[in-house]
Amino acid sequence: MAKVLVVDDAAFMRMMLKSILVKGGHEVVGEAENGAVAVDQYAALKPDLVTMDITMPVMEGIEAVKKIVSSDPAAKIIMCSAMGQQGMIVQAIQAGARDFIVKPFQEERVLESIQKLVG
Amino acid sequence: MNLSSENQALIDSLVASIRQVVPQTVTPGEAHPVEDAVALNDIGVMVGITGDFHGQVVLQGGDAAFGQLGASMFGMPLDGEMLHSFVGELGNMVAGNAATLVAGIGKRIDITPPAVMRGQLQLYGFEQGFRIPLTLDPGGELNLIVKINDQGVA
Repeated sequence: MAKVLVVDDAAFMRMMLKSILVKGGHEVVGEAENGAVAVDQYAALKPDLVTMDITMPVMEGIEAVKKIVSSDPAAKIIMCSAMGQQGMIVQAIQAGARDFIVKPFQEERVLESIQKLVG
Repeated sequence: MNLSSENQALIDSLVASIRQVVPQTVTPGEAHPVEDAVALNDIGVMVGITGDFHGQVVLQGGDAAFGQLGASMFGMPLDGEMLHSFVGELGNMVAGNAATLVAGIGKRIDITPPAVMRGQLQLYGFEQGFRIPLTLDPGGELNLIVKINDQGVA
């Protein structure tokens, strides 16, 4: 079971991810609606894993990944974004994300990615 | 309809993206030029496009059509705030997947966070844009409205 921080500006998508994660036996320890809140939440909650959207107001997801990874190089972050073009995936992985899931996503794909990262 | 091949490719990518994102059968109608303000009656989402194309994309429809989409995609009926949030996310997914598709023809676009619009309002500035009616089966009608500015103009 992993403690997960869910980051997405859409309340609907946070709800969907929460439902998938809880069903998969994981615990959602926090939610953030933009990258800036995510950076603060990560420091405060120290989750095992983060799901991170890219296109968000205030601070977008790749910038948030860079900030989280600079403070914790072992951070496990999965990008969950509709922007699945190769350049975006490369940018996210270079920033420190461990996996990339393109929306709309399948439940199995999300749980499989978490399983790979947290065992 | 008078569109450059590049602009047509963007519109084709948006329609193809909707077909990828939405589980229903989507039949696009003929594209019509927008000659006046765009009237919005129920709910819609607008996403800005920057990069090799500049413009705005609006997906507009009734509560019932969007509600049925949400139910078919995520297995639960949606209303109120969750319906608004879903509509915003749908706009994000459609524009995001279109960005992936146009990357396949060597074009790079970025998208803005979606803005959800509710109620009766009129959108100006879409003149010289195009409206493409979309029939969803099962479901209802949505409208895809695309305004592409001259390239290089934000």
